Amino acid sequence: MARLPLEGIRIIDSTYVFALPYAGGLLADMGAEVIKVEGPGRPDVTRTGGYAGAFPENDLGEDWWNRPSTYNLIHRGKKSITLDMTDSRGRDMFRDLIKVSDVVMENFTPRVMRSWDLDYPNMKKLKPDIIMVSNTGYGHGGGPYSSYPAQATTQEATHGHCWITGYKDLGPAKAGASFVDFLSTWTALFAIGTALRYRNKTGQGQWADIGMYQAGVMFMSEYILDAQVNGREGGRIGNRHPYRAPQGCYRALGDDQWITLSVGDDESWAGMCRLMGRPELAADPDYADLLSRQRNHDQLDSLIQGWTSGVDKYELMHALQGVGIPAGPVLNSKDIHYDPQFKSRGFLERVDYPKERQMGSRMFIGRPYKFSNSPLAIQGPSPTFGQHNDDVLQGLLGVDGETYQSLVNDAVIAQVPTTGEATPRVPQTEALERGLLADWDPDYLNSLGLA
Amino acid sequence: MTSTQSHQAPLTHGPLDGVKVLDLSEDIAGSFCGRLLADYGADVLKIEPPTGAALRRMGPFFGDDPHPEKSLFYLVMNLNKKGATLNLETVTGQKILKRLVPHVDVVIESYRPGYLAGLGVGYDDLVAENPSLIMTSITPFGQTGPYSQYQGEEVVSYAMGLIMSISGIQGEEPLKHGGFQAQYEGGLNGAASTSMALFMQGNTGEGQHIDVSVTECVASTAMATQTMYPFMGGTLPRRRPSGSNFGHPMPCKDGWIIVQTGGGATWDTIADFFGDPRLKEPKFAEPAQRIRNTVELDQVVLESIKERGKWDLFTKAAEARMLFGLVQTPSELLECPQLESRNFYRDVDHPVIGKVKVPAVLFNLSLTPYQYTGPAPTLGQHNAEIYVDGLEYTREDYVRLRQLNVI
Repeated sequence: MARLPLEGIRIIDSTYVFALPYAGGLLADMGAEVIKVEGPGRPDVTRTGGYAGAFPENDLGEDWWNRPSTYNLIHRGKKSITLDMTDSRGRDMFRDLIKVSDVVMENFTPRVMRSWDLDYPNMKKLKPDIIMVSNTGYGHGGGPYSSYPAQATTQEATHGHCWITGYKDLGPAKAGASFVDFLSTWTALFAIGTALRYRNKTGQGQWADIGMYQAGVMFMSEYILDAQVNGREGGRIGNRHPYRAPQGCYRALGDDQWITLSVGDDESWAGMCRLMGRPELAADPDYADLLSRQRNHDQLDSLIQGWTSGVDKYELMHALQGVGIPAGPVLNSKDIHYDPQFKSRGFLERVDYPKERQMGSRMFIGRPYKFSNSPLAIQGPSPTFGQHNDDVLQGLLGVDGETYQSLVNDAVIAQVPTTGEATPRVPQTEALERGLLADWDPDYLNSLGLA
Repeated sequence: MTSTQSHQAPLTHGPLDGVKVLDLSEDIAGSFCGRLLADYGADVLKIEPPTGAALRRMGPFFGDDPHPEKSLFYLVMNLNKKGATLNLETVTGQKILKRLVPHVDVVIESYRPGYLAGLGVGYDDLVAENPSLIMTSITPFGQTGPYSQYQGEEVVSYAMGLIMSISGIQGEEPLKHGGFQAQYEGGLNGAASTSMALFMQGNTGEGQHIDVSVTECVASTAMATQTMYPFMGGTLPRRRPSGSNFGHPMPCKDGWIIVQTGGGATWDTIADFFGDPRLKEPKFAEPAQRIRNTVELDQVVLESIKERGKWDLFTKAAEARMLFGLVQTPSELLECPQLESRNFYRDVDHPVIGKVKVPAVLFNLSLTPYQYTGPAPTLGQHNAEIYVDGLEYTREDYVRLRQLNVI
């Protein structure tokens, strides 16, 4: 088996929240050495507060800042160091780290990086071929919104996606969580891959300046062209398709169970009519051809739901696919762990923690691409806060023992965050009653084989 | 790697300069992947069936005229590429593809897994012609697994990729994003993974078969959702029908806005921004209280913005350092001053469509930035260049290939 694509590449991940930190995790899967840098008083928000996700067995535990699910998914396979960037010694060590690294990722505000002399022109002086990746809400430069606060939830409206998302004829809506963050994640991988290749050819580094807003707008391209050329403003059509019919999300057997399907030709429609036990519908002039099905979509939806609501979602998928209709069930966070396709591809990867972490074993999203000659995989568990201070500062940068101790004493580095507190957990049964959870399976560890 | 050059000639190429790509895809995802590689310097040749790629039949169309050269979707997904036609269902077409493959680094395709192999031009066949080839396949469920032969659609990838389970309103049907986000996500992941494989190919000479699953791309955006189960056995719900406006669009006088607490703004600042004194009552002071009294909170907030305009609110929210957005329409995005400042759009002059402004720059790269080099190719536009100049078919044979429906 060949080696991993980024073996031998060192990446500084001085970024927070989702977008670039997640890129850091995916870069570690590719074989890069990724060093996450946090301030002793500025732990990543995925360790605290509303972005933390879940805790093992809903228990904060002793070192709660190392235990949240989103922190652990994003920071798999990385090293962790802490540096107080408001202290000149912290900034000096950061500079020393740049000198021995290939890539620096950051998402500070432009003003902060300049004030630390860590904007791109200054970084380039430290390491001429450094590749720097910045991610901000609206991108650098002199634009009117460049200094506006931003994160993915509110940007989903501003970059246009809420306008086209929502139930038919109702107001704009959001879908998923933090959508545009992931567009920045993958854009950063693309930027780093291309810039590394270019550096190998020419010896030159460069600066990738990613603005989340612009990445989001890119995914609206056809709507923008339609508005410009045809004066059409798009809008909301729920789960329907602009021309295939019927398409939608219908109730399946059971509580909150759903099937999606999309019919694109008359033959598969006839096949679906047979499955429904209503072969005569295939010849019914109201539904016989694509155009009439599009016109009579509302009444068609109730007909379809009358059938699907009594049948299991997987049974529906296999039957519909059998007559050539794209179809699939709505999967939730439990379902995905047992779905045969995701299982067969190993999309969710198991991470075993060392005993002292008291984290057991957990499943995490891997990555949506496989390489035939490189065994891409999660390389190990997330690090604890500042776990690699010693390795990186003394081992890699050659800080002597005495200096290291003074850094510890002065809290320039730390292994326990100096600020932040855990948000108390809501007991599972109360969470169910309050609607914070849709469902709770107390036997999950056994069922997943993680007990 | 050291940088010893003391001066730089002005660069007119991208970071993927010298990379050659055959884009066999007919859909959005594969075409977007090829376009991103072309945007950053790769030399991309679109190969289509003589009848044209399926995307040429997909709207919106210029002037609502469903002409094969007037698909705006095809246009925007195939900027900066050259184009040739080739019928892969003929033996001659297959032979020609095998003659092209030794000249390229990457092949992109998005056919049903096994289709190309069935024609004798799958990864194993092509890598025999070019041992360091990278082939990037982008499909709904991936190349392997029990559903690999199943048909995909945007709504199906959204359903199986977890996102619908948390989108929409409790009691109502789960909701997908509008448009074709899953297809774009597949294209972006195709480009990202291909760039990594190209870096490795440059170092080791080895290629890869890259297998991108569009459904897994969607599922990758659900990380907080996925981990709920293996960490505590939980399943997340969709939003409640009332009392959950923060973090979701709310109507104001002339549109919709969206507000999130947190960021640089305290609750006091947010209360002042909305301007209703009731928001300063103790029952809204702490996050836990706001959650408990959320239905009432939503009412007060909605009343306070009923007569206010979205642009005025947007500017004032930024001054208050609030996390705030407004729902922009496509034509507002077209006129956006922030996008202008980033030089996001490019003017394209297409031989059939004419002049249009297209979304162009995904991200800025300081030394080798995005470059616009040409509109999408017309059907078979570069056939002569590829087959006569490149593969050195005689003019007579070139004409024969057309008459035999090979090109």
